[in-house]
Amino acid sequence: MTGAPATGAPAAAARYAGTRVPRVEDPRLLTGHGTYVDDVVRPGTLHACFVRSPLARARIVGVDAAEALALDGVHAVFTAADLNPDVREQWYTLIGKDVPDTPRPPLAEGEVRFVGDPVAMVVATDRYVAEDAAELVAVDYEPLPPVVDYAAAGESGELVHEGYPGNLAGEFPGAPFEDVEPVFAEAPVVVRRTIRQQACSQVPIETRGIVAEWSAPSGELTIWAATQSPHEVRLFCSRLLGLPEQRVRVVMRDTGGGFGQKVIPQREDMCVMLAARKVPGPLKWIEDRRENLQSAGMSRHAHADTRIALGSDGAILAAAIDYVEDVGAYPVPWPVGTSAAVGMFFPGPYRVPKAAWATSSVFSNTSGRTAYRGPWQFESLARELLLDAAARKLGLDPAEVRRRNLLRRDELPYTNPCGIPYDDITPLETFEQALEMLDYEAFRREQERARAEGRYIGVGTCTYVEPTSAAVGLHATEGATIRIEPSGKVNVYVSGGSSGNSIETTVVQLTADALGVDIADVSTVQGDTAVTPFGGGAAGSRSGSMTAGAVGETASVLRERIIAIAAHRLEADPGDIELEHGRAGVRGVPESGVTLAEIANAAYFQPETLPPGVPAGLEASGRYRPEHPLVYANATHLCTCEVDIVTGAVKLLRYIVSEDCGPMINPNVVEGQIAGGVVQGIGNALCEHLAYDAEGNPVATTFMDYLLPTAAEIPDIEYGHVETPSPGPGGYKGVGEGGAIGAPPAVANAVADALAPFGAEITSLPLTPETIVALVRGGDGTVPR
Amino acid sequence: MKPPSFEYHVPGDVDEAVGLLADLGEDAKAIAGGQSLVPMLALRLANPEHLVDLRRLDGLRGVEERGGRVRIGAGTTQAAVARSAEVARSVPLMARATPLIGHFQIRNRGTVGGSLAHADASAEYPAVVLALDAELEAVSPRGTRTIPAGDFFTGLWSTALDEDELLTAVDLPVRSGRSGFAIEEFARRGGDFAIAGAAVAVELDGSGRVARCGIGLFGLGSTPLRAPGAEAAVTGAALTDIDADELGRTAVGELDAVPADLHASADHRAHVGAVIVARAWRRAAEEAANG
Repeated sequence: MTGAPATGAPAAAARYAGTRVPRVEDPRLLTGHGTYVDDVVRPGTLHACFVRSPLARARIVGVDAAEALALDGVHAVFTAADLNPDVREQWYTLIGKDVPDTPRPPLAEGEVRFVGDPVAMVVATDRYVAEDAAELVAVDYEPLPPVVDYAAAGESGELVHEGYPGNLAGEFPGAPFEDVEPVFAEAPVVVRRTIRQQACSQVPIETRGIVAEWSAPSGELTIWAATQSPHEVRLFCSRLLGLPEQRVRVVMRDTGGGFGQKVIPQREDMCVMLAARKVPGPLKWIEDRRENLQSAGMSRHAHADTRIALGSDGAILAAAIDYVEDVGAYPVPWPVGTSAAVGMFFPGPYRVPKAAWATSSVFSNTSGRTAYRGPWQFESLARELLLDAAARKLGLDPAEVRRRNLLRRDELPYTNPCGIPYDDITPLETFEQALEMLDYEAFRREQERARAEGRYIGVGTCTYVEPTSAAVGLHATEGATIRIEPSGKVNVYVSGGSSGNSIETTVVQLTADALGVDIADVSTVQGDTAVTPFGGGAAGSRSGSMTAGAVGETASVLRERIIAIAAHRLEADPGDIELEHGRAGVRGVPESGVTLAEIANAAYFQPETLPPGVPAGLEASGRYRPEHPLVYANATHLCTCEVDIVTGAVKLLRYIVSEDCGPMINPNVVEGQIAGGVVQGIGNALCEHLAYDAEGNPVATTFMDYLLPTAAEIPDIEYGHVETPSPGPGGYKGVGEGGAIGAPPAVANAVADALAPFGAEITSLPLTPETIVALVRGGDGTVPR
Repeated sequence: MKPPSFEYHVPGDVDEAVGLLADLGEDAKAIAGGQSLVPMLALRLANPEHLVDLRRLDGLRGVEERGGRVRIGAGTTQAAVARSAEVARSVPLMARATPLIGHFQIRNRGTVGGSLAHADASAEYPAVVLALDAELEAVSPRGTRTIPAGDFFTGLWSTALDEDELLTAVDLPVRSGRSGFAIEEFARRGGDFAIAGAAVAVELDGSGRVARCGIGLFGLGSTPLRAPGAEAAVTGAALTDIDADELGRTAVGELDAVPADLHASADHRAHVGAVIVARAWRRAAEEAANG
């Protein structure tokens, strides 16, 4: 089934969808009663701690665990020889079995490839003893020259992995550059920049963690995990260990943020799974912050040779991007596929007649690349920086250049030059709305006055189109089971993967509407593979749209059954039955009705009273399968800032987001998702940097050095909404990732605009105070005081 | 990030505390608010065999004004300093420095003595006591002694305190005459360790010339520092004859080993340091001139 009317939209008017229903997660989370993986306490639990490489690259000559094993409370010290041979199959459903995936041994075998590479796993009675023991494991390393800088890795004589010449993990030829060269050769205006983005990390507030408990008598493995996708964890684990899928149960309640880091199990998770059957109790690993910053993964690190050609009227003629990304030593998942999106979305929501692109993914001896909220966001960073640079070159306002090139509604559907078929998007509308919210012209006047006083303020924007709810492979479908219990109360079962995305609230809202019941009468059960239908989890801005489809599909079966029973009991036409407030009434006959509790009572306990052909019970399962492979969302971010040209400090003044995620199920949730992404993007632009020194040592392994933006650095975020329905259920679109896509370019452009009098061009992030002082100096040669 | 095991001691008074420090020697570490030491333990950067917890030494807490001096007990939390009307009135530089220390959660537990004895080169209080020529009171089994602030900070995270000696109070001069005070710092985010900071105390004579100037610098060396050349350059001068930017450059011109890290190179620290000294000077001088 497809389309809003058929699946998502209930016959009764939506009572909850579109409203700011308080989050059902909040009472437990805000009072500190969430259940995160470290809150799982099982009798006899043993604790794991990893011995990690202190060197970026070295041969492992030997591992001596004798002293560690002698320590009181230590149960085992596992090395690669103990765990790695037990791997049966290792591949992610998310990516599929047949991609040319990169190496991923659970524990380092023969060679360590980054600082933090797990070499051995200590198992002890508690984490304190495990850490004491980890210090006693003597690893004999023979240092090897590391490949620290991915940008030079192609020319390095050293290899991160044997079998990957030039340290090339993979590449996409995309669309050939030759095809656009004539346009660039003849274009009146060409802007070309090498744009660089630093390495960042997702930094979930809950670090990674897993508890695995093996029951030998029943042959069952139970896993509690901090994950965005419990069903992927189960499938992966069953393949890894060669256990039948039904013998593995994965449970998660609250996950304290994932942002991509927890979409799939990583190497440490594999180690715990593999060791679970070898230790005499449940095995728990809770990552600490230093481990998280050094080993849980990196993202964003990339550069590209980017070009844009324009006519003298500012019309874009062509765009080209040659993108190179750092994938570290052990990327998860296979990064090459995602990189293609950088090329394909580089034209963005603009009228770009011709485009060329290529991507390559390069290994280095650093932490592996992991998925991160809007993993292709480099396309927006590069495009939007180029557009501002082009505007300055043309002597036009950056807003004017965008107005002349943004796609209009009457041009849709529009297939971009890389073959992406956009529809149901409103880039120009969000752009104008954001400018209006600021009063752009007034800001330009204020900027003039400020400059006259020696104050430097600027405005920057980013307009992007984003693929959401991609329905392929692991994410192709989503299921829901709804049980109207004998009392008439409702439980909804979906896979979940609640990592801060409010999916419980969403499900409860949609179900209450679909069945015409009060929201207080609906609960949801999520995150336990033993009872929830298979689902892909929280990823790719899919939860809202896909779960709405699943709930709609399932609820429609129950609605039909409820109406049939009610019509039978009320001796009315089914077409006249209305469901509202947990009661089936007859249209126009207010006194005639039957409660859902009475209907449920009949369905379960008086099956003989049911109309012919209506099955007993009020339980149904359904599975949503979209016909549209993608749902497009779009937004404009706008940021204003003031730059202290003397110290290089950037103060953000206003931050405005106008987005189109279709009709909003819950504006609080939508705005919360945007805010979270924006803050991450601001961090990427200004302060976060997962830096390494020249020897490959990570230098930002605590929150003193990995600088996250705090509430003090972030202005109030202002929201504007444009609601254009998608072809999906309810017309909903994804909104989880976009905030993190739009913010870095909007902030960078605002800073560049503030510094325009100095001729400053921004081509790399982060914009540290020192970078900004250098930009100001570089512009006119004077040293600011 | 779990600390290695240690033995934990909770002395009931100062004598017992210094007795323990004397007995345990270099294997012991005193802990007050723990805002620096606990992270160092968790990261296993510090590995003491004994921790001597000062939390029961109630006599070390409080602010007392007497005879033109303000005495702040070493165990007084930074939050208590922030709330003290006496400190705000009599030692405004101390009051103005306090909100810059970390975040309020840190100030709720962090103590005056802990901050001074930890002697972090980027911390605010050490620069304040230098700028004010404060005196630090220390107790050991051998008795009590007073250490001028200028002699207290001896190296990276090290002080003039003996192994068995406990910092018990800081003794600060009450502001007097036409004086002005300012502290400025530049950090990547509010609450971060300063990339560069300066505490300036200035006092004018009857004719409006600078009678005394104290400049404490932080974040700009391996220890908290004074800027004696810059102080000398302005002492005796009329306010109107002093170029704040020049003063800033003089102050950083005296530095020999400006640190560099992920957040700022030595050059950038020195550049920002000069700006910060100039900004602090302007505010302090303005207050003194209007005083």
